[in-house]
Parts: sequence; C-alpha cells; structure tokens
Amino acid sequence: MSAVRNVGIVARREYGERVRSRAFAFSTVLLAGLAIVVALIPLAVRLLDRATITRVAVASDEAGLAATAAGTMDTFLNSKGAAAAEGGKAFDFLVMDSPAVATEAVRDGGVAGAVLVSRTEAGGLGFRVVTVGALGADRQQLLQVGAFAVGILDWTASQPAATKPFVIPGFSVEDASAANAGPDTGPSDPATAADYASRRIVGIVFVVISFLTLVFYGMWVAAGVVAEKANRVMELLISAATVPQLVIGKIAGIGLAGLTQVGLVLVPALVVMLLSGSIGDALVGEGSGSSVSLSALSPGLLLAFVVYFVLGFTLYAALYAGAGSLLSRAEDLQVIALPLSLPAIAGYMPAVLALSGSTSIVIRVASYIPFWSPFAMLARLSVGRVEPWELALSLGLLLVTVPLVTALSIRVYRGGVLMYGQAPSLRSFLRVLRG
Amino acid sequence: MSLVVDHLHKRFGRVVAVDDLAFEVAQGQVFGFLGANGAGKTTTMRITLGVLEADAGRVTWQGTDSNRLPRSTFGYLPEERGLYPRMPVLDQLVFFAGLHGVPSGRAKREALAWLRRFRAEDLRERKAEQLSKGNQQKVQFIAAVLHDPAVLLMDEPFTGLDPVNVMLLREAFLELRDRGRTVVFSTHQMEVAEALCESVAIVDHGRMVVGGPLREVRRAAGRRMVRISVEDDHRLSFLTTVPGTRVIQAGMDRSTVELEPSVEPDAVLAAAIGAGARVLHFEVADPSLEQIFIDHVGRPADEEMHLAAAEPVAPAGAA
Repeated sequence: MSAVRNVGIVARREYGERVRSRAFAFSTVLLAGLAIVVALIPLAVRLLDRATITRVAVASDEAGLAATAAGTMDTFLNSKGAAAAEGGKAFDFLVMDSPAVATEAVRDGGVAGAVLVSRTEAGGLGFRVVTVGALGADRQQLLQVGAFAVGILDWTASQPAATKPFVIPGFSVEDASAANAGPDTGPSDPATAADYASRRIVGIVFVVISFLTLVFYGMWVAAGVVAEKANRVMELLISAATVPQLVIGKIAGIGLAGLTQVGLVLVPALVVMLLSGSIGDALVGEGSGSSVSLSALSPGLLLAFVVYFVLGFTLYAALYAGAGSLLSRAEDLQVIALPLSLPAIAGYMPAVLALSGSTSIVIRVASYIPFWSPFAMLARLSVGRVEPWELALSLGLLLVTVPLVTALSIRVYRGGVLMYGQAPSLRSFLRVLRG
Repeated sequence: MSLVVDHLHKRFGRVVAVDDLAFEVAQGQVFGFLGANGAGKTTTMRITLGVLEADAGRVTWQGTDSNRLPRSTFGYLPEERGLYPRMPVLDQLVFFAGLHGVPSGRAKREALAWLRRFRAEDLRERKAEQLSKGNQQKVQFIAAVLHDPAVLLMDEPFTGLDPVNVMLLREAFLELRDRGRTVVFSTHQMEVAEALCESVAIVDHGRMVVGGPLREVRRAAGRRMVRISVEDDHRLSFLTTVPGTRVIQAGMDRSTVELEPSVEPDAVLAAAIGAGARVLHFEVADPSLEQIFIDHVGRPADEEMHLAAAEPVAPAGAA
C-alpha cells in the first residue's frame, strides 16, 4: 500500500521535474517539427511529382497498336486534364518494339512504367501496366483513363463498328520487382504501392521515435540517479523510501514524461498527415489515392507501439538506473552513455532493414530478442505480416526480461547509491552485485 | 521500550567500520553518539535505517528488527546535507513527508509551523540551491521531523550552524524529547553533547570505548578535579604547595585543576586560603566529556583523521 503510494510520489516528482524543464520544451518543439516535416513528405512528393514528366513505355505484339495507343494517350492525357492545364506534360510515351523490351526498360529504370497493350479474343483491348513502384497511384489512375480512351477509339475504328459490342479495356498493374524477387520479399499481403509507402512512413516514425526516446530518456534516468547521488539528496531519499520504490518510481515518472513527449510530437504530425490529403487536393487539384498516408495507422499498430514503448522503456531505463547508481559525478555519464546505447543501436539496425521490406532470419530473430524487439518487432508490425506466435514469443520474452532486469538493477542500485568516489568499472559493478 | 544496538559488525572490504558495537537508548532520551570522523557513527545510523545491512548483529526498536519497521519510524538527518537543488523548499518538505505517509495538506501546515519556529518562513518558495548552508540544514532538519518519527537519527546536526541556530535546534531537541521522541545524534562537539545528552557512547574505530548515562561516564573516569577562581592570582601560584595537582585548563576567570587520587579537593581550597588569596569560586567537578574523550581515544574528537574507505570521498554539493 505504502509502496504503491511512494512509487506514485516519486514518479509524480520526476514527471513534474522533467515536463517543466527547459530541455523538455526544447526537444519537444524540435522533435515535433521534425515529425511534421516527415509527415509532409508524401505531400511534398506529390507536389514535386506534379511537375515531373513520367516516361512510360508502350508496347504491343500487334503491329501498329502500340503506336496508335501511344498517340491516343499522348493526345488525351497530355492535352487535357490537370497536368496540361498547368502547362506541363504528365507523360512522355515511348513506343517500344515488344512487351519484353518494355518490361526490361522498366527494370533498368529507364522508364517509370510500361503499358503493354494486347488484343483479347473478343476483339477488345487489354492493358497491363508494369512498374517497379515508381508510378504513383494518381498516375496509374490517369493511365487507366487513357486506356479507356484508346479502347473507345479502337472500337470506333474497327469495321464494322456496330457488329461488335464495346468491351471495356482490361486494365491491371503489376510490380515487376515483386515478380522478379520471389514471393517472400515485400509486404506479405498484396498491398498497393501507396499503402506500402504509408506503412513504411508510419513504421519509420514509430521506430525512430521509440529509439530516440528510449535512449534519450534512458540517459535522463541515469543522469537523475547520478544527480541525486552527487548532491547527496540520495541519503535522505533512501531513508524515506525503499530502493525498489525509488527505482520504479523514477522509471515510471520519467517514462511517462517520455510518453507525454511522444504524444506531443506525434499528435501534430498525425494531424498534418490527415490534413495533407486535403492540402494536397487544394494545391494540386483533386487526385485520388494520394492521401493515404494514414491508412497504415491502425488502432492495433498504435497499441503495439504503446506496449513496446512501455516495455522497452522500462527495460532500458532499468539498465540506465543501475548504471547511473554506480557513478558519483555527472561527468562520468559519458563513460556509460555509449556502451548503454549499443544494444539499442543493435536493435535499431534490423528494424531499419525490416522497414525496407526485408524479412531475413536476422530480422526475425531480432524481433524476438527483448532488447531489440521494441524496435525490430515494431518495424515488422508496421510493414508486414507477423504470425501471432511470433508476436506472443516476442512479448512473452520481453515480459519475462523486464522484471528480471529491473530486479538486477535494483540490486546494483542498492549497493551503488552509497558508494562514492569509485571509478565506474566492471569490478565495482560485480562487487555491488555480490552485495 | 528502547533502541538497542546489539553487537553490530560491519566491514567494507578490509576496513572494519563497526566492530561489535553495543549500546541501548531508552525511549524519550537524548543520546550522544560521540566519535571522530570514521569512527563508525554514520554506518551505525545507516544500518539502523535499514539502508545498509550489518554483517552480524542487529538493531532493534521496541524489540523489532529495525529493518522490518516502516521507514517512517525513523527521522534521519544525514551528515552530508543534500536537497533537490531546483525544488522549492516547501515542495521538498511535502515530498519527503509524503514518502513517510503524511498527507500533503498536513505536511504543508506543519512544515510552515516548523519554518516559523526556525525563523525561516521566507524560505518556503526559495529553491534549495539558493539557501545558505545553515538554512539548508534547517530545512533538512524539518524534513527529518515532519512525519513525527519515534526515533530521530541526526548525524552531526550542529555542525555549521551559527550560535542562534544552535540554540533553536537545541530547544527543538529538548521539546521532541519532552514529547517522548528518542533522539540519537552524533557529534564531535563535546560541549553540545554535555549540554543535551542523558546518555552517551564514545566510539573509536568502530568500537565502543565507553558509554552509559553521562553522570556515570564521568564518575567512571576516576579523575577528580576542581574549578577554582581566585582574585589577583590567575596563575594559581599557591598550587606549588600542594603536590599531586595539575592545571589542565587555565583561564582568566576559572581554571580547572586535576587532582591525583591521593589529593582531597579541600587541600586545594586550604592552600589557596593559606596563601592569602581571595577565592571567588570553588567547585568540585567531574571531568568534562572532552577530557574523558581524550583519555580514552588519545586525541581530541575534532582532530582530523584519515577517512575510512567506507565514508564518502567525493566532494559534496556537486550539481
């Protein structure tokens, strides 16, 4: 009863001290600004995209059809519509010899996409757009409109027009890179390019924020412990509250301050993301499929972020609290800063790899290991499919490790807080561990 | 009904901090814990608080192991003063009282009453880093007593205070005692201990040298002395006629003369009168605590000693 009360009192003091500090205000503004910039990236891409000319190859097995289609779409898409009104061309159509050549050009990166036109048995036209993800959703939409126009012209040109009913041209988009690299890469569910980009952005924001906050606030925990030791308020503290109360209260208070900052950083960024769709529409004109940045932010993912953040923070903060208790002066903090941030960095790297769509064994294993899973599993959850047992294993290991590391840290802290004047070393660590 | 330090042992590496220390403090007593730096006073207090574990022996209060008692049983004034530097005084007091279970409303009221009492009401909104050392000490004293603990452990409470504050603190001690609180304080200032304590323990290198009720400690010293004041003869030249006497403290006003066991105090008075001196003051006295301390330990208590490794080494007050 009194234990819970004291944890609360310690946590409240820590929280108040952090949240009222100048460093908190400064870093919140800085990070919020950064997050807003990241949130604006899709909009910026869209704005930039408006001014670019997309080179698209057109090819067909039927003689002349490619040239006709290219001509029709050029007239239709580059003289009408928003792009033409702004005075620029949206597409540059290149007629190629065969679908194979065109597909190769797409893979080489020479063109953003290839429109492959084929004649169906019913006499209608089929359009396949091959791309490596370089074609935005709104461009794809435009191409579909162009394909429709080509279909109508082709129908009216055929003799006799009336004997054949008009068939809506088939239209499909496929990813040349996915087809090339096998089924195991990329998102497991057939996500569209836009959806995938959105997932990656959300994943990057979560992983970066988790990483920065854990390391930053972890250092705050260590610095707080060292300061209490250095200015000797520790003597009074440990006579008033028990060591577990002090350690857990400190972790909770500073962790909540961290969570508060994450909220203050994320909420404006999310609002910007939500608004960027309509901002974009206002700037670029109505365009479909370009304001999907938030489509990947499901409540489940948000919950996973909070859960991994809380557990991950507790884990790292316990480490930092134990390490801080071994120091006597604030200057010594540098000594522990790098070694303590190493496990976080080691977990951050597989997370970044996971965000780029890789699902190698290293990333899978990293997403189960407690010190890394707060980053790696979060990244995997953001971009792709995670089996339920994987999530359970990852969380289970984390839930077991957190109390273990906290107990260890409390033990170190108990021995460390009254120990002054010793250089931080493995030996002093082992000595306090033995008690 | 007492605080019992029961054959306590504690060592840090090769340094023996407390060596079979045993004494008892009755409830409602003011107890002086005397010794030089590194004598083991702080370690004993920390073990009593449950912050350190003893290698052997135990400390009990009312028969219960002290580390099983709630922390609020004790109020502690550490020797190394320290508060949160950027936190206002009143907030700190409410914070520490809160950890001991005092609701914030009551803590605030009582903190203000104590500040008033120490003539320091204007400190309430000040940050600790802006306080003078003496004021910081007052605030820490209040932090130690705010939850009205049964036992007060005060490590060198009078060091660094000016005479007015020493007086205020002494009054507070006596008042707490009158309210039935047990006060244990360490000091190397023997006059303070003499004025306040009912019982004392003198420790050196972690060992108890002598202890018990102050009067008995003095009697047991086996030395007798007289304090004498004579007009026009500050040097007490008549003493040359009395063998077995030695002036151990000469003063313009009063001098202290130690007597060998064979010499009766009357002989000193008779010699003075026989020499025609006018005796203004004559008193048969027990030896002072300072003398007893020197007798047992071999040096004055405030003489600097090498710090034991167990004691804090790093400079205090770093940010």
